[in-house]
Amino acid sequence: MSIISTQNLTKIFGSGPTAVTALDHVNLTVNAGEFVSIMGPSGCGKSTLLHLIGGLDRPTSGSITLDGISIANMNDDRLTELRRRKIGFVFQFFNLIPVLTAVENAALPITLDGVKPLSAQKQASQWLARFGLADRSSSRPDQLSGGQQQRVAIARALAAEPTLILADEPTGNLDTRSGEEIARLMREVAKKYGRTVVMVTHDPRIAAYSDRIVFLKDGKIVDETTLSRPNSENAAAVAQKIHSIGD
Amino acid sequence: MNLQFTLASRYLLGRKLRSLLTTLAVIFGVMIIFGMNTILPTMISALQANVQGAEGETDFTIVSKTGSSFPKDTAKSLIEIKGVRAVASSLERTINLPADFVDQDPSRPDQIIAVNLVGLNPEEARTVRAFPTVEGRYLKDTDTSSAVISQTLADAFSVRVGSLIHLPSVSGLTELTVVGLLPAAIGTENEQIFVPLTQAQKMTGEVGKVNTIKVNIEAFASKERRAEIQTNITSAIGANYKVGAMIADDEMFATMEMAKIALNAFGALALFMGGFIIFNTFRTIVAERRRDIGMLRTLGATRRMIIGAILVEGFLLGLLGSLIGLVVGYLMAVAVLAVAQGPLSAFINIKLGWPIIQIPLAVGSVMIGVSVTMLAGLIPAWNASRVTPLEALRPTAAEVEFKNQTGRGFWVGVATITLSLLALLSGQSAFILPGGVIFLVGLMLVAPALVRPFAAFFGRIIARLTVRQGIGGLAEKNLTRQPSRIAVTSSTSLLALATIVAAGGIVFSMKGTLLTMVDNSLGSDFIFLPPSVGLWGSNLGASPLLAETLRKVDGVDTVSTFRFASSQAKGQVVSVLGIQPQDFQKVSGLNFTEGSSAAYQELTTERTLIANSIFMVSTGLGVNDSVELTTPNGPIQYRIAAVASDLLNAKISTIYISQANLQKDFASDQDVFIQLDLRPDADQEVIGAQIKAIGKDYPQFKVISGKDYFNTIESQFEAAFSAVYILFAVLAFPSLIAMLNTMTISVMERTREIGMVRAVGGTRWQIRSMVVTEALLLAAIGAVFGILGGVYLGYMLVTAIEVVFPMGYSFPFLGIVAAVVIALLFGGAAAIIPARKAARMDIIQALRYE
Repeated sequence: MSIISTQNLTKIFGSGPTAVTALDHVNLTVNAGEFVSIMGPSGCGKSTLLHLIGGLDRPTSGSITLDGISIANMNDDRLTELRRRKIGFVFQFFNLIPVLTAVENAALPITLDGVKPLSAQKQASQWLARFGLADRSSSRPDQLSGGQQQRVAIARALAAEPTLILADEPTGNLDTRSGEEIARLMREVAKKYGRTVVMVTHDPRIAAYSDRIVFLKDGKIVDETTLSRPNSENAAAVAQKIHSIGD
Repeated sequence: MNLQFTLASRYLLGRKLRSLLTTLAVIFGVMIIFGMNTILPTMISALQANVQGAEGETDFTIVSKTGSSFPKDTAKSLIEIKGVRAVASSLERTINLPADFVDQDPSRPDQIIAVNLVGLNPEEARTVRAFPTVEGRYLKDTDTSSAVISQTLADAFSVRVGSLIHLPSVSGLTELTVVGLLPAAIGTENEQIFVPLTQAQKMTGEVGKVNTIKVNIEAFASKERRAEIQTNITSAIGANYKVGAMIADDEMFATMEMAKIALNAFGALALFMGGFIIFNTFRTIVAERRRDIGMLRTLGATRRMIIGAILVEGFLLGLLGSLIGLVVGYLMAVAVLAVAQGPLSAFINIKLGWPIIQIPLAVGSVMIGVSVTMLAGLIPAWNASRVTPLEALRPTAAEVEFKNQTGRGFWVGVATITLSLLALLSGQSAFILPGGVIFLVGLMLVAPALVRPFAAFFGRIIARLTVRQGIGGLAEKNLTRQPSRIAVTSSTSLLALATIVAAGGIVFSMKGTLLTMVDNSLGSDFIFLPPSVGLWGSNLGASPLLAETLRKVDGVDTVSTFRFASSQAKGQVVSVLGIQPQDFQKVSGLNFTEGSSAAYQELTTERTLIANSIFMVSTGLGVNDSVELTTPNGPIQYRIAAVASDLLNAKISTIYISQANLQKDFASDQDVFIQLDLRPDADQEVIGAQIKAIGKDYPQFKVISGKDYFNTIESQFEAAFSAVYILFAVLAFPSLIAMLNTMTISVMERTREIGMVRAVGGTRWQIRSMVVTEALLLAAIGAVFGILGGVYLGYMLVTAIEVVFPMGYSFPFLGIVAAVVIALLFGGAAAIIPARKAARMDIIQALRYE
């Protein structure tokens, strides 16, 4: 069953002679429980694709269906509600609110949805515990390492129990060891907790943890690879491929 | 809502310095509003206590509308009225006592500065109130010079039952025997001295007269019944009397009313500036939290939630600031009252107590503080809600405004300024006053467009000074990247500095004029000065005998006196001064604004008057108009012969008539103020000693030489004007907060850029000078706007005041210098913390700064 489906998805920034086509008639389908990586050279439209799927930006043309609902023409309030309930976001720069503790940050989406702070935090702290942060739940972001901050961010993405997790370069701001830790965690989110994960990355070793890799170039899908399970040979093969596409 | 509170309070705590700075603005505004409005009622209530004394338990008090005395028989008919139980007439006068009169000890502050002399028919008075003596006895109908006083007063005079006390009276010091003591007085009212009516009439020179009727009605009367009885009393006694409150304090209230308007304008201005500062802060808060806000939007926070979060922050900030403002305002009131007691008691004999806390005012001030804060946060909150979720993902760079600043606002501003200039040229006071306000509004509207050219101009000067440091240009560019923010900051400086410059204009114009008037009006050789100058009604005068005695002294050339009566014209209270035109002209005289000194002659030949400008403005009459004055003998027509003022009566609606007319129509012949000139060949010292000896019997007057008085007045002016100046300088404080805020914010925003400048080789010192230069540029722009606004405002105010008080405009050079100095000092001060912060930044961290 498909969770995401885009048809002829096109995004053009600007107009007239300065117009830039970021996405050009992209057709992408992602199934429930799948872990998909999107790769490609800088400026190929990876992030734009992720933003459109997440309802953060609107397409110039084409359609997006999320869990059977078309979101391209939704108004702001409905999109906001959709993000709150159905989608979890993970960012490169973690984007934790500096004045809130780890558990308060993780509980944000449920708190925003009107759940009482205490029960929201109880729910969120379960995710923190699963990610090994039980003892750091009352720390502020500046008291946590980068890897820990990103784990809090992933706990936040999962707190509202969304079906879809969108991650934009989640390891881009981390060292290699922490990066791989996060990649393993993203796979666990898909495999153990049954969420659909779409991740943008430029790191072949990280992408190697996913089920499928979609390669984008100049706003178009140019290739796709399905992987059996994560291992170092996969990573090497992915690196080869991305090189051949022209990084 | 919970999350919004959590976020708001954590953000506030997280940026303590910023929260403090922003709160300061609110604290300041609330402090002014609450403090000022606490000071005034405290003064008024001290006055009421002073004038009214203990009204006791009587239901109604009846006095004549003019405040003058009336025949004792007036009360006769009242007892017939249904529901009236008892009626008693009395003659009551506040007697101001000279310094050290009671304790004879100059080293101790005086406890008793005035007493209420109450003359009554002993048995009749007992029907309206009780006199429970603790020692001795109550007055008898056969008593003559007996007095009943309170235990407290007896202690102050150090007397017991059987002792003698002396009080000033129209015919010199009068001796009274204390026959009984009442319990110690409670409260802050004046002490009362009860004497037989005939004795009081003798002491005040009002034979056969009373001035107060007290009425008690049946017990447990309903509100409606009371109103009915009051109406019946009013119709029985006639239109010349007032039933209920006393009128004696109306003169003072008229003076206080002007102060109240000025102080409230001051508070509103302070809060208005506070609003600007808060607006700027919230705008910055929103700018620097774009990523957090975007994040919240990404996670599903609705626009309303974002607006809510910012407004909750405003609410908390406003509440905190307002509460602190209340406390500081109260402390300010305590301090001001303590300081004011001294100079005030020189003019008016009143004792100020502790500030009176009015709950509605406290609640109102907090509400104003909170709503101003939230209102100022509204536009930034709205902008915050427009932040798109994508902002969370974009690397943020400090924002730059490139939009054209000469938009609609600019042109509206230009039109507004043109209008206000036309208003000034028109010379019409009705246009000039609103003209000043719209001029300031116009300046604020054109400010954003002028920021760039002004910054470029001052930047060039600074660049020349700092050419080798290579940062002058950078500072200028930094400053102009957000012209609207700079304009808002400059608007705060504009208001503050404009006030200073305008105040300078008024102070200098007024001081010169006033001192000339002092010399004109009080140029006599000797003056008999009562305790309350201007508030003649509260003074005990002297019988014409004193002036006669003085005239007989060898070497005295001319004696001129003021006699006083209170009246009403067109529903307004007016002070009526009786003069002897010939003598008055010789000794001092009036400054005529309409008509000439020929009017003096007319005073003696018919019922004409000379009015001061306040009277003319408040009644709306013109020269040669007829006006109906309320007198003890009913309404009487007078013709206005001229408009003129003297210094002593400049503040209060006053008319001058001849003493003959005053005697005829107002039945008043007491001298409340005496001036005398010596013959040119007379020996000042010898005759001065003789005059002072005569004055000894009339301790209600202070005898001083005219020159001494001029010096006293001059030093009082200096003190009063420097107090005004300090007050306005305090008002400049919000502009310091505004600049500090703007500088802190602009440094914070540019953290990454500063890191970059450092990375490519900028020294700490360069960074520091860059920030300081920016602050000075900011201050200079504010100063230019402020001086423009202030010069206009000052000119406008002087023109407006000229309508009621003749004065010439002096250009406020000193005010401008003060404004420039304050602006630059504040600019420098505002730069200290941000400059240090910028210079000490860790380069790597700054480069990574989000």
